[in-house]
Amino acid sequence: MKDIVGRLDRAFNPRSVAVVGDKMEMGYMWLRSLANFQGRVYSVQIDEKELQGIAALGVKNYSSLLDIPDEVDYVIVAVPRAVAPEIVQHCIQKKVGGVMLFTSGFAESNTEEGIRLQENITEMAREAHLNLIGPNCVGIFNPKIGLRHTTDQYWGDGGNVGFISQSGTHATFFTLVGEVNGIRISKSVSYGNAAVLDAADYLEYLGEDEDTKIIGMYIEGVENGRQFFSCLREIARRKPVLIWKGGETDDGTRATASHTASLAGPPLLWDALIKQCGAIKVDNLDEMVDTIQALLYAKPTTGNRVGLVAMTGGQSVVITDAFARAGFEVPLLTERSYREFASFFNTIGSSYQNPLDISSNLPHLDRIIRCLDILNEDERIDAVVLDLPVVFLTRISWLIPNFFDDLIDALSLYKERSAKPLLAILISAHAESEAIEARNKLVAKGIPSFPSFERGANALKKVVAYYKSAAP
Amino acid sequence: MVMDEIIAAARKEDRTSLTELESKQILKEVGINTTDIGLARSKEEAVAHSQELGYPVVLKIVSPDILHKTDVGGVKLSLNNKEDVGNAYDEIISAIKKHQPSAKIQGVSVQPMARPATEVIIGMSKDPQFGPVLMFGLGGILVEILKDISFRIVPLTMRDANEMIREIKGYPVLEGYRGQEPANIAVLEQMLLKVSEFVESKPEIKELDINPIFAYSDSALAIDARVILEP
Repeated sequence: MKDIVGRLDRAFNPRSVAVVGDKMEMGYMWLRSLANFQGRVYSVQIDEKELQGIAALGVKNYSSLLDIPDEVDYVIVAVPRAVAPEIVQHCIQKKVGGVMLFTSGFAESNTEEGIRLQENITEMAREAHLNLIGPNCVGIFNPKIGLRHTTDQYWGDGGNVGFISQSGTHATFFTLVGEVNGIRISKSVSYGNAAVLDAADYLEYLGEDEDTKIIGMYIEGVENGRQFFSCLREIARRKPVLIWKGGETDDGTRATASHTASLAGPPLLWDALIKQCGAIKVDNLDEMVDTIQALLYAKPTTGNRVGLVAMTGGQSVVITDAFARAGFEVPLLTERSYREFASFFNTIGSSYQNPLDISSNLPHLDRIIRCLDILNEDERIDAVVLDLPVVFLTRISWLIPNFFDDLIDALSLYKERSAKPLLAILISAHAESEAIEARNKLVAKGIPSFPSFERGANALKKVVAYYKSAAP
Repeated sequence: MVMDEIIAAARKEDRTSLTELESKQILKEVGINTTDIGLARSKEEAVAHSQELGYPVVLKIVSPDILHKTDVGGVKLSLNNKEDVGNAYDEIISAIKKHQPSAKIQGVSVQPMARPATEVIIGMSKDPQFGPVLMFGLGGILVEILKDISFRIVPLTMRDANEMIREIKGYPVLEGYRGQEPANIAVLEQMLLKVSEFVESKPEIKELDINPIFAYSDSALAIDARVILEP
């Protein structure tokens, strides 16, 4: 099992990449995605009509992989399925580090030919110990070296979050949605039908990868459940692993069969497996992003008591309901905290019980921060949540220029000196574009933000449960 | 080892389903507390076992062909003296001859009637992807109607055993709700771990069902059990 780590290194960190079968009809998506690749790029295409377009991209074309006068570390294959076995054979002869088959129409098509072709390439690859990724996938994203699967993805600075996805869409979406939420990828892979390499192999690889501190997974099914179980149990002890399981309903199961030819497995057993391994279960992309954001940017706590700071009365009620529903306590504070509040807090139209409604104390920046400091000091509180209603903050900025920027700077300083997690909730209401701007500013300062009370509460709940279960 | 002999005997007879008696003998060997049990092949033997075990006793048909003993009149409860036991023996044999004449009868088991307690169940089945999986739940109709059960994949750790018991909604019942006798959770945890270890070490066990287990405050007792072997 462990030898998989060394085996996959060349494919995940290639110095040369060949694209087989890219064409105009696909907008040369693969060759263009490699525009910033920090290594050598080759094209393999025999269709005369495509040669001009490939040349225009500045890529040297060959009529066969075997003609490339260089070692090839990673191969992207986008040929029709009937040609796939021949290309796989060339990859074996060429001794490439890994090959990714974007080509689909294999077992997931549930056609005789598709199933036969998949068996065919699987057998060839297994026998030759070829690292075959997919088929029916988009393969590896390694931003540090500019290896991408779409031009929408960033390159240059890598991050510390690894992602393993059976779906290409989810791999792409996670990398993109993650980026705007402050989550950057170390390495990610989409692996489709898992004909040769399966979830456990990639998990093993990213488990050993030093750049990867947190691993997210989207899984539709695994071929060898026991192997995956023991692998996850081992890796989740060392780093947080989040699992989003596709095909959790009967109808969803039908979809996994036609998407990646996966046997979804009983949801109750997946729940048990995730729990037993100490991994974190998430149910959708939002939860994946929110929870990873909280793991990355909120200070760890195993405590269940929240201090809630709302900017208006109505929100002070519903933020409390949201966190209480998620299982948090919203306790009364210590006498000491109340004495401090009494010394400066304007209570007419406001309240500092917990939840706090600080409306009458706006727009005093120092008072907002003072409230946070009191909660940070209060021994009855484990985590602090701040409501940031974009509409009102924008209105204040009209009175006091730079109010929001100053607030974010002050929050950033508060975060540095505080010991407890701080979560910001950015309620956009109709001001969606302002909310995006605000979120980007918070991300830049490492302050985790969530678009609703419920999503914030849910993310905090998941990380608290994780830190509790990880505690000795 | 009794276990290997039992399995070998079943294989020889070309059957995969073990009787309650055989299943309990196996459980005893892996350290699971079960009711004492005697096999009677005659009325006289049934009475002799009863005297030895102490009244009240329970008589149950022992046959590899009978899955649901109660349905065919194969179980008699609360037998308090030798007349009761003698009659019960005859009634069971004639009921089986009437309802399932083809059933191969190994005898009738005699067991002391256990003091009632909160019932729990432990089961093992195999999933095509994940292999042996343990199930825990409250016994009786709660498990059937409410599906209040928890699962873990074998092998279980201590923490898994701890969590799978506390995870069921009916857990407060085990804590001794409204003055009921609380169950000894540590004993149940140990039972789960023993079952996990056992099924992991014996891949030829296909299914295992211990239902019910009486959960007392100082112990737990397997009242009925069924083992099915891989074909």
